[in-house]
Amino acid sequence: MAAVKRLKRVAAAQPGFMSFKSSAGSDDLNSGQRKRVNKNKKKNWNKHSDIQDVEEFLDDVRLQERATGGLISEKPDDSLFFVDIGEQRKYVQPEVQEGKKGKKSKSRPLRIDLILQHDSLVPPPKDILAHQQPNAKKLRRIAENAEKLAAMGVLPRRQKRLLNRRPAITASKSKTTANNFPDRPYYDLWGGDAKETADPYYLEQTGKKRVKRPEKLNSKPSVLPAVEVIAPGGSYNPDFFSHQALLLEAHEVEVKRERAELRIERQLAVNREDTATEETVFQELVEGLVEEEEDEDEEEEAVSIRGGLQQEKKTEKERRRERADKIKSQQKQAARVFTDKKQQLFQLRSIQATLKRGEQQTRERVAQRKANQEAEKSMPRRLGRLRFQAQDLEVQLSDEIPGSLRTLKPEGSVLKDRFKSMQKRNMIEPRERAKFKRRHKVKYVEKRAFREIT
Amino acid sequence: MGGLQKKKYERGSATNYITRNKARKKLQLSLADFRRLCILKGIYPHEPKHKKKVNKGSTAPRTFYLFKDIRFLLHEPIVRKFREYKVFVRKLRKAYGKAEWTGVERLRDNKPGYKLDHIIKERYPTFIDALRDIDDALSMCFLFSTFARTGKCHVQTITLCRRLTVEWMNYVVTSRSLRKVFLSIKGIYYQAEVLGQLITWLVPYQFAHDHPTDVDYRVMATFTEMYTTLFGFINFRLYQTLNLVYPPKPVLDGTLSVEMFSCAQQKLSALSASLARVVATAEEEENQLDLFPTEGEDQENMQAREKEQKEQEAQKRLFEGLKFFLNREVPRESLAFILRCFGAEVSWDKSLCIGGTYEVTDETITHQIVDRPDMDKQYINRYYIQPQWVFDSVNAQMRLPVEDYFLGTTLPPHLSPFVEEKDGDYVPPEKLKLMALQRGEKPVQEDDEEEEEEDDEEEEEEDEEEDDVDDEELTEEKNLKKMEGTRAQGKTLAVKVTPGKVKPWETGSVGNKVRLEQEEKAEEKRLAIMMMKKKEKYLYDKIMFGKKRTTREVSLTIGVKNGESPKGDKYS
Repeated sequence: MAAVKRLKRVAAAQPGFMSFKSSAGSDDLNSGQRKRVNKNKKKNWNKHSDIQDVEEFLDDVRLQERATGGLISEKPDDSLFFVDIGEQRKYVQPEVQEGKKGKKSKSRPLRIDLILQHDSLVPPPKDILAHQQPNAKKLRRIAENAEKLAAMGVLPRRQKRLLNRRPAITASKSKTTANNFPDRPYYDLWGGDAKETADPYYLEQTGKKRVKRPEKLNSKPSVLPAVEVIAPGGSYNPDFFSHQALLLEAHEVEVKRERAELRIERQLAVNREDTATEETVFQELVEGLVEEEEDEDEEEEAVSIRGGLQQEKKTEKERRRERADKIKSQQKQAARVFTDKKQQLFQLRSIQATLKRGEQQTRERVAQRKANQEAEKSMPRRLGRLRFQAQDLEVQLSDEIPGSLRTLKPEGSVLKDRFKSMQKRNMIEPRERAKFKRRHKVKYVEKRAFREIT
Repeated sequence: MGGLQKKKYERGSATNYITRNKARKKLQLSLADFRRLCILKGIYPHEPKHKKKVNKGSTAPRTFYLFKDIRFLLHEPIVRKFREYKVFVRKLRKAYGKAEWTGVERLRDNKPGYKLDHIIKERYPTFIDALRDIDDALSMCFLFSTFARTGKCHVQTITLCRRLTVEWMNYVVTSRSLRKVFLSIKGIYYQAEVLGQLITWLVPYQFAHDHPTDVDYRVMATFTEMYTTLFGFINFRLYQTLNLVYPPKPVLDGTLSVEMFSCAQQKLSALSASLARVVATAEEEENQLDLFPTEGEDQENMQAREKEQKEQEAQKRLFEGLKFFLNREVPRESLAFILRCFGAEVSWDKSLCIGGTYEVTDETITHQIVDRPDMDKQYINRYYIQPQWVFDSVNAQMRLPVEDYFLGTTLPPHLSPFVEEKDGDYVPPEKLKLMALQRGEKPVQEDDEEEEEEDDEEEEEEDEEEDDVDDEELTEEKNLKKMEGTRAQGKTLAVKVTPGKVKPWETGSVGNKVRLEQEEKAEEKRLAIMMMKKKEKYLYDKIMFGKKRTTREVSLTIGVKNGESPKGDKYS
């Protein structure tokens, strides 16, 4: 308290100190009755000492510093006073101002910003740590050590780990472009093989290794070429004979088709005898009314005859004779075989001939089978419910043949040709378009608006 | 006795096959996805030998796959992608239904996609494998690139196909590997020889599309997806072999502005610009085969090979030095492609397409390709020919005489270069004429009216030339047979000695020598025939008879043809 008082006194005593506020109540401090209190207790010191004046003074000092950047008393007179030479003429330019009004209002800061603006003239305290570094010594030592190690070629652990880390796969993260993207990039696919660095066992166990494609899959399902060139008659300006040959071929196909159609028609045709005539209709009506005597007696007789047959028991004599006969016939058979074998000795030539013939036959059959198998390789197989249907032969009739390339009217569709070619080569199975089946019946409701009209 | 009971259909072929539906369930895919997967992986259905056994006693027709194939499919990473996609679609539909547009956007951003690179690598372990299988890819891409953008397939696919085909054509032009062209009623067949592989493809005519309804577009699109991937990689590699920049860039002159650079793609598709190389070389270095001194057969082979190579080189420069101008009614792209393949300079009207390099009025133009009956303004110093001349010349591997292809003339037939006649087959007279031309014989030029006769005569000459040796043999054999026949019939031979004639060609020493040689040969042959066993003789006679018959038939047909159409209008 004494220190504060002293300070105040010092400040007040200073010559020329000017307080911002009027210190009207400074005299009141000392006036009034003094209250007696025990001063041997610290609590009382705090409670009963009067530090108002000191605080006011300090507040004032701070205010001055804030507002003017220093004590007013220390400022030179020039900065405090000016010579009053009357009201200065305002520089008025009403027209321009009007024009600028919008701009001005826009450039004026908001009030809220103004309030929040830092308006103290006391500079902020300097950051002491700006020029100091905590743990500087330690850091310096570490840096020196690292430098030494780097000179020796030893990498710090962290760097080593960074280097050892697998390169992050950024491609997977980025969007994969669609396969039909027009500007998609290509690269040398068959260039240098990427070496597998990892353990093959690891790759196998984690499913990262691709399963080898079986060799058999690389064989084509048909021996036919991918692009079958049309017969020479299919030229846009064909030679007469080759064109005729092509026409003949197309004609044969057409004839075959017509024949098949005819056959079906014939099979479907109603037989004249099967249709009902008046007679047959009458017969049918009368059926059962006119009684006919059937010969049922005969059947009964037949049954009785069969039942009447009796198995008679063989006598001993008969049995003996049968046995003897059997043995005799067996002997005869054996003798016959023996003589036959004997005779075969003289038939050697013919036997050889038959053998040769047989061999020849088998050889021919083998060749035939081979040829068939070969032919089958180029045939379309039955791969599904439907059979392969060859597309119609592209043919232009004699009067359709154009005189020049300009007047050529292309025949058939290349798209269909490609599609059928794939089916023919057993790459896809022939299919038909799925038929649309309506599950529920469509309910027809006449709309009201429509009903009103009709 | 004893042992476990053998059950039916638990071993053998019944376990080697799996039906499509079962396979689908095993892979947990929808039918469409399963189909797609099979196409991408190159797994095709099989027809089992014993269907009833495989089908567990039923005879219903089903689609079967090999069980091992399906087990192999189980390892494919794409299967998981398909499932992901399924889930994605489900989520998207849900988000749409709830009108959660941010959710839709987020889902769309994270749309799952898949790559086919590993499948291509797996299916075609080496580059050559892939190149052998490119026919399909080429035809398909050319087909798709001509599609209109009608929503039958994705527009992006069409654009990609177009880009790839343009790249391919540019490669063929730069490497000059085109061999044959055939204009058919279906489309244009091309054949090129790339790195020793003969590659055939079919290009549809422009604007010739009606979309058939009985073609499964989804299947075709899947094939195309696979083929575009394959095709792109092949293109890259091919460009690398030629030291070209990929994706291709046309060589730009210094005078060209920035605008031209922006339409580089269009210029490429015009096929008139040459491509930029990685290392700019002034001239393509010609690879010379190293020559080693060899002996005997090797040398002959070597010479033959050298000759062949020379011929090929000559063929590659078929149109070099010629300057063409395409009228607007001819198919620009195919003609420009072919002409550039053989080293010609091509241009067209500016309004027709970008990339024309000179005007019609250019005096240095040697040929103008026209496909209309008459032209108003004609320049004197150039030929006006119909487009077929180009195609026929390429197939004949020589510049054909232009007279037959002039403006307004009836064209000779366009023969298929893909047919190779065996001897005895019918050979069109035009082809015979062509062969004669190739051999270097020149038809005698006369007036137009006499040309028909001329042709016939020539053909006959040809025939005679070809069958010359055969005929002689035939006559000799006839004589022999007659002799033998008489010997067999009558015991008394009517032997007669006739005075010899001095034939005119025997007088000359060279002719004499040749004649002697031939006689010797004939004598040998006769002796050999005499020494034949009866059985062999019978066979020999049969063969000779067959040969004779075919030649007779051929001559007959030719005679018929000549008799029928003397005036050249073939299709009356």
